[in-house]
Amino acid sequence: MPIAVILGGGFAGLTIANKLAIKLKKRKEVEIVLIEPADSHLYEPGLLYYPFNDKPLSKLEKPISKILRKNVKHIKQKAIKIDYENKKITLEDGEVIDYNCLVMATGVDLKEERLGLTDKDNVHHFYSAEATLKIREALKNFKGGNIVISPSTVPYKCPPAPIEFAFLLDEYLRRKKIRDKTNIKFLYPLPRPFNIRVVAAKILKLFEKKDIEFEPFFNYDKIDTENKKILSFEGDEASYDLLVIIPPHEGQDIIKDSGLGDKEGFVLTDRETLQVEGQKSIYAVGDCTNIPVSKAGTVAHFAADVIVKNMISKIDNKEPTARYDGKTLCFLVTSSSKSFLLDFSFKKEPRKIGLHSWRIYGIMKKLFQYFYFGGLITGRI
Amino acid sequence: MVDYEISISIDARGSFCPGPMMELIKAIRQSEVGDFVEVLSSDEGSLQDIPAWIAKAKHELIDTVKKADFNRFIVKKTW
Repeated sequence: MPIAVILGGGFAGLTIANKLAIKLKKRKEVEIVLIEPADSHLYEPGLLYYPFNDKPLSKLEKPISKILRKNVKHIKQKAIKIDYENKKITLEDGEVIDYNCLVMATGVDLKEERLGLTDKDNVHHFYSAEATLKIREALKNFKGGNIVISPSTVPYKCPPAPIEFAFLLDEYLRRKKIRDKTNIKFLYPLPRPFNIRVVAAKILKLFEKKDIEFEPFFNYDKIDTENKKILSFEGDEASYDLLVIIPPHEGQDIIKDSGLGDKEGFVLTDRETLQVEGQKSIYAVGDCTNIPVSKAGTVAHFAADVIVKNMISKIDNKEPTARYDGKTLCFLVTSSSKSFLLDFSFKKEPRKIGLHSWRIYGIMKKLFQYFYFGGLITGRI
Repeated sequence: MVDYEISISIDARGSFCPGPMMELIKAIRQSEVGDFVEVLSSDEGSLQDIPAWIAKAKHELIDTVKKADFNRFIVKKTW
C-alpha cells in the first residue's frame, strides 16, 4: 500500500494533506498520514493584530480534527529521525513509520532562549500566542520613550511582519495619544526594509511620513539588558525602553539530525521541483525549506499544488513534471484598514502593488482568516 | 598586488539577494581579525549590497573580480 506521509501540521502540512486527500479520495489503496504532535492549529497571520486589541487569542485557534479530512490519519506524535535510505520515520515513542513518499512541512524553530532574556527585560515579540499576550500587556503599560523593532536573524517568517507591526504600532500610539512622546526605530540587517527595491522604496516613504526611523545594515549581535541597548555586529547600538525583536529562526532538530538541512537546519530543497536535495521520494514545503522565497503561507499554498501533482505522478509511477515558479502573494499592512498587495515570483518583480486599492486590500487582509480556514487549509482552493 | 590566503570561501552562486551578503556576514562573524573571506555571487544586486555592507561594517574590500557570469569579492576582516 503506498503511504504518503506529511511531517508537520502547520499551514503547509495541513494544506498538502487535505489537497492529497481530495485528489486521492477514491484511491483507497493510498494511505495518507499526517504526523503532528499538536491537537490544534493557530492562525499565525492573525497574531500581528492582537498586541493592539483585547480580543481573546482563542479566536485564532481551531482543532486539527476539524480541519483535516477524514481520509487522513493523524498521528499525534513528534517525529525525531528520518532514515531516508530505508524510507522510515522514527517517532518519539520509538514507533517506526514507513513511507513511500514523504513531505517535510516541519516549519521553523524559534530559538528564544538564545536571547537570554527574562520577563523583566521589556523585550518582546509577536511570533507566538504566549508572546503576543505579553507584548499586549507591555504596550498597555507603555507611557512613552523609545520603541525599537528588529529581527535577530534572516530569514524569518513573513518578511513584512515587523514592518507591518511598526505601522500598526504607530497607529496604536496615536490612538493612545502618546505618539508624540514615543520614538519608533526600525533596525534591519539588509540595506533596504524589503528585498524587492520598488517595494522597499514605498515602505521607506511611508516610514518617513509616519516618522518611523529606519536604520539599515543592523545585524543583531546582542542585547545589553542592564543598559537597555541593542548592539549590532557592525558596531552600532540603539537604546530602547521597549524592544520588539523577532526571535532567532532555525530549522527543526529532525532536519539536522537526519542530515537533510543546511547549517541552520533548513531543508536543502530544489526551488522548482521542491524535492529534497538527493532525495527523489522526499519533498519539502513551507517555512522549513532553504528556497530563496518568503517564509509565508502563500508560498506554501502555491508550492502545495506542485507537490501534490508530483506526488500523484510518483504514486502512478510517472515522471513528476510540475514545477514551482516562486509565486508569492503578500498583503502588506500599512494601517489597521489599509494594505497593499504584492504579487511576484522568481522571475517577476511586482508591477502593480495595489497602491490604488489600499482600503479594499485592507478589508481583504482582515477577512483573510475566513478564506484561510474555509478554503485554503482545507485544500478546496 | 595584495598577498592573501583565503580563510573562508563561500560559493553563493545561484543564491538570490540577500543570500550572498548574508552568507558573507555569517562568514565574517566566524572568522578571525586579519582573515580573508571570499564570496562568489551571480546576483547582480551583490555588486551594490556587498560593498555597501563592507563599508558600513568597516571591513576592507580587497578586490572585486568580474567573471563571465558571477562576481568574486575578497574581503578582509579588520576588527
